[in-house]
Amino acid sequence: MDIRTTFARARRGFRDDLRLHVVAVASLVVAFLCLGAALLGVENLARVAERWTQSQHMTVYLGTDASESDIAQLRLVLDSLTEVAEVEYINSARARAQFAEQTEMGADVGSLPAEAFPASLELALHASANRTRITKIGERIKSFNAVEDVETYQDWFGQLGSLLDAGRKAVGILALLVAVCVVAVIGNTIRLAVANRRQEIEVLKLCGATDRFVRTPFIVEGILQGLTASVLSLVLLGISYLSLRGQVEDTVVTLTGMQVVFLGPLTVLGVVCGGGLVGALGSALSLRRYLSV
Amino acid sequence: MARVNLDGSGAGFRRTDSHVRGLGRSNPNQPAEKPLLVMEDVYKYFRRDVPTLRNVALEVKRGEFVFVTGPSGAGKSTLLQLIYRKHTVDSGRILFLGRDVARLTERSIPFLRRNLGIVFQDFKVVPHWTVYENVAVSMEILGSPVRVVRSRVAETLERVGLAGRGNERTERLSGGEQQRVAIARAIATEPALLLADEPTGNLDPALAIDILTLFEEIHDAGTTVIFATHDHALLQTSPHRLIVIDEGRLIEASQGLRAWSARMHSLSA
Repeated sequence: MDIRTTFARARRGFRDDLRLHVVAVASLVVAFLCLGAALLGVENLARVAERWTQSQHMTVYLGTDASESDIAQLRLVLDSLTEVAEVEYINSARARAQFAEQTEMGADVGSLPAEAFPASLELALHASANRTRITKIGERIKSFNAVEDVETYQDWFGQLGSLLDAGRKAVGILALLVAVCVVAVIGNTIRLAVANRRQEIEVLKLCGATDRFVRTPFIVEGILQGLTASVLSLVLLGISYLSLRGQVEDTVVTLTGMQVVFLGPLTVLGVVCGGGLVGALGSALSLRRYLSV
Repeated sequence: MARVNLDGSGAGFRRTDSHVRGLGRSNPNQPAEKPLLVMEDVYKYFRRDVPTLRNVALEVKRGEFVFVTGPSGAGKSTLLQLIYRKHTVDSGRILFLGRDVARLTERSIPFLRRNLGIVFQDFKVVPHWTVYENVAVSMEILGSPVRVVRSRVAETLERVGLAGRGNERTERLSGGEQQRVAIARAIATEPALLLADEPTGNLDPALAIDILTLFEEIHDAGTTVIFATHDHALLQTSPHRLIVIDEGRLIEASQGLRAWSARMHSLSA
């Protein structure tokens, strides 16, 4: 059986059971839409995490008794480290001013004690610096007398990483649920289609059709259902993204310093191909169970 | 003479459309050929103690037209179903194109059926398909190119008196026309043997004669036909070879219809 005949027969099948296929595709679009939205969230979260990890830095808080020579010596040590790209000194007054600016507290900040705004050295680190190394550097710097505390932000990055991992796991589970849903919906659709086409199948067998000839169009129908549903869901997700982007973009940029982006081409390809594959699987399982040719 | 594909497990039957033309035709200039169909000592049981068919022996030569008749439940349909392997013989053998049908594997049965055209009492057409789709399906199964299918379907519809009606939905046709569609589907691939299982059973007498005439025209073109019917009126209109099945036994009405009628008369007396 050539491809043209197979597709012609699958198209005929779609035509004969149009309502059945439309209902099935509509249900699948909802499932794929949920998956697409979750993927969109995780992809953007991953981008934020990646950027923040790349632009990593460290804050060295200085004690109130730190002299200028202590600070100069400390800067010398820090400048000699290959992981450190830049060192900036922030005195207590500047720290207070920055806090007042960021929190929009204005004159109210003046009532806070001086200990609340210790002088610090802000270190910009190279992207190549790994977590273990940064922790070690932090521990070493802590041993200086002039240093009161060191903030490496590793806990914060760890929390972001955990959130990302949890998001990825949630998407994995959602993808599995969607796959089960697609297999079930397409399996049922094909089962009903087989029942509707008993007479056709009998005619085919009496005319000398092989099992493969009978089964292949049903598999193609399953693939087409999966593909159609995944493509439609991505189109809907794209429309929603474009219409909502303007409303949330400012907030997102303020919070994360990054713009929201749509799913990457590989993810889109993965969703579409996955839809087709799961459609084929659902159809094949259903035929195995319900079509005795 | 028929060309038979002998490529492995296909059991010697054709697999594709590559040698459809002329497969079922007999050539009067050829010397005596092997029979197309041979049944030897065939038994079939559906109940353990009562054989539906017993000790059946039959030879059908290429180009023959054979009537198979007998009362309802005598085993006419079973005889045909054994040929197209809907059922398998319990003993004996059936040779079609020199191959033992009973010994075919499940995978080879489609290739057996591609050499047969089968027409049923209940037509077995797909009602929501068009006439074209119903006829073309037998050629699509053979893998014929679309262009060939189009021209052959048009040609076949003309042969059965449905020229130009390919786009009509089959369910909108009358019973006689639906049977013509079924016949067109059966002959589109020019099968070696055409099996008709009570093809006029659902039709009124005038239409039945029309359908029989159509089968005779197909036979005149060289196709071998086995036509099962219990309609005596049809048998009286045609002088073809006659086989009677009575209580599972096959009786050759060798002196024609008159001798068979006499036997039927004696059986009923």
